[in-house]
Amino acid sequence: MSYARRALAVAWKDLAVERRSKETLNALVFFSLLLLFVFQFTLGGDRERLAAVLPGVLWLGFVLSALLALGRTFLVEREHDCWEGLLLAPGDKSAIYLGKLAGNLALMLVVEALVLGLFVVFFDIDLGRALPGLLVVVLLGTLGLAAVGTLFAAMTANVRARELLFPVLLLPVQIPVLLATVKATEALLLGEPLGAVGHWVKLLLAADVVYVVVSLLTFDVVLEA
Amino acid sequence: MVKTLGWLTAAALAAGLVMAFGVAPREVTQGNVQRIMYVHVPLILASYVAFVVLAVASLVYLVRRDPAADGVAHASGEVGVMFVGLGIATGSIWGKPTWGTWWTWDARLTSVAILFVMYLGYLLLRGTIDDPERAARYCAVLGIVAALDIPLVHFSVYWWRTLHQPPSLMKPGGFTGSSSILWPLLVNLLAFILLYVYFVARRARLLRAQAEAIA
Amino acid sequence: MPDHWSFVAAAYGLTAAVLLIYWRRLATKEREVEASKRLNAERSREPSITGHPRSEPASRTPLQQNQRPGAPLP
Repeated sequence: MSYARRALAVAWKDLAVERRSKETLNALVFFSLLLLFVFQFTLGGDRERLAAVLPGVLWLGFVLSALLALGRTFLVEREHDCWEGLLLAPGDKSAIYLGKLAGNLALMLVVEALVLGLFVVFFDIDLGRALPGLLVVVLLGTLGLAAVGTLFAAMTANVRARELLFPVLLLPVQIPVLLATVKATEALLLGEPLGAVGHWVKLLLAADVVYVVVSLLTFDVVLEA
Repeated sequence: MVKTLGWLTAAALAAGLVMAFGVAPREVTQGNVQRIMYVHVPLILASYVAFVVLAVASLVYLVRRDPAADGVAHASGEVGVMFVGLGIATGSIWGKPTWGTWWTWDARLTSVAILFVMYLGYLLLRGTIDDPERAARYCAVLGIVAALDIPLVHFSVYWWRTLHQPPSLMKPGGFTGSSSILWPLLVNLLAFILLYVYFVARRARLLRAQAEAIA
Repeated sequence: MPDHWSFVAAAYGLTAAVLLIYWRRLATKEREVEASKRLNAERSREPSITGHPRSEPASRTPLQQNQRPGAPLP
């Protein structure tokens, strides 16, 4: 099989498993609904204060659900006893990484679309003209999160206290992505065009390229038995 | 060899102390509290050296699979985290009388703090893996990712802060290259880099001995 | 501007304390590893004992002394 087909096979397998069992997706949807409650209770009903912190809160929701979703990337393989099968797959292991990344990206984008929809309804955000720019920022930011998250999930899958270690490793590394996305979202929601946050978009692009390339190059090392 | 380095380091540190308290003048605007800079700045700069060495050693380990390279990376991580932690603490102690606050979310402070937590995570990862070979591999990957993340952290934090307030706050007064202050700083910098090399040499030797004792 | 000597002392004191503790810890660990290595070396030099050692005649009980090989038990 060619490289691309092997990557696609992994992504396809993950999505098929998820579509049939829906175990991660269901839990994530429920979790993001709960987050909405938590935000509402902790921030209070004051609309103006809410509008000021909304971009940060939105990304907090994205990151928290990403931590849950990404951390499970390779645990699923262990639970279903597929880990050895993955390791024994012939050829370059980075194809597995690409497949896993694509699967994670799809899952996270679905959850994020849902969270965004809930925010629009419950916190009364007027997306309007901001939507196309917001899509670009969300896509780039999610790719950055998922790229490092998938790599670190593979690393922490075989480690003691992995549920603790995964966020502890991922969050500090992801601070540039978080700053860029929150600041860009803030400006976009204030009605500024995408061009006004060009430096953040460039930073996100650079981060995505760095993360994906490094992960592709080092994934072989991580999966060595 | 290591012993000689140790005596050399001790001498350099003593010289640094003499320079900081004997030779350097009392700073005009800040007073004597500015003398903290002679330990604060070298600590931070030496920790940067440690993290660069860590990244290079990680890369060397992945290419050659030499446990010695992993030992250097491990030791550099430990010493670097200790140095950067001390750097933040001394900076904070300097900031209280000078700025009137222990901490501000200024660009440079923030990026150093991010560095601190990033490499603290690195040490945590080391601590949770029992198999030394796997620990070396995973930590090498993390070390490389962290090193490449440093420029991204720097730019993002800089833009995040400077769009709100000018960075002039951070500029310690009278810290602009006058030689009476520069020389004490350089001597201390040399002393702390020697200290870093000494600690790493000793820690790496200890790691090797521990590995032999187990084997 | 006042001098804040106490802050200077705190900064230098803290640094010195932490560095000294780390240095001492390195030395202690080195000694521990040396000791365990020596212990291991000594253990491996001793002859390994396989099976039960045969008892000397003097340490045998009277019953064992009277017994000849092959003789029926009393």
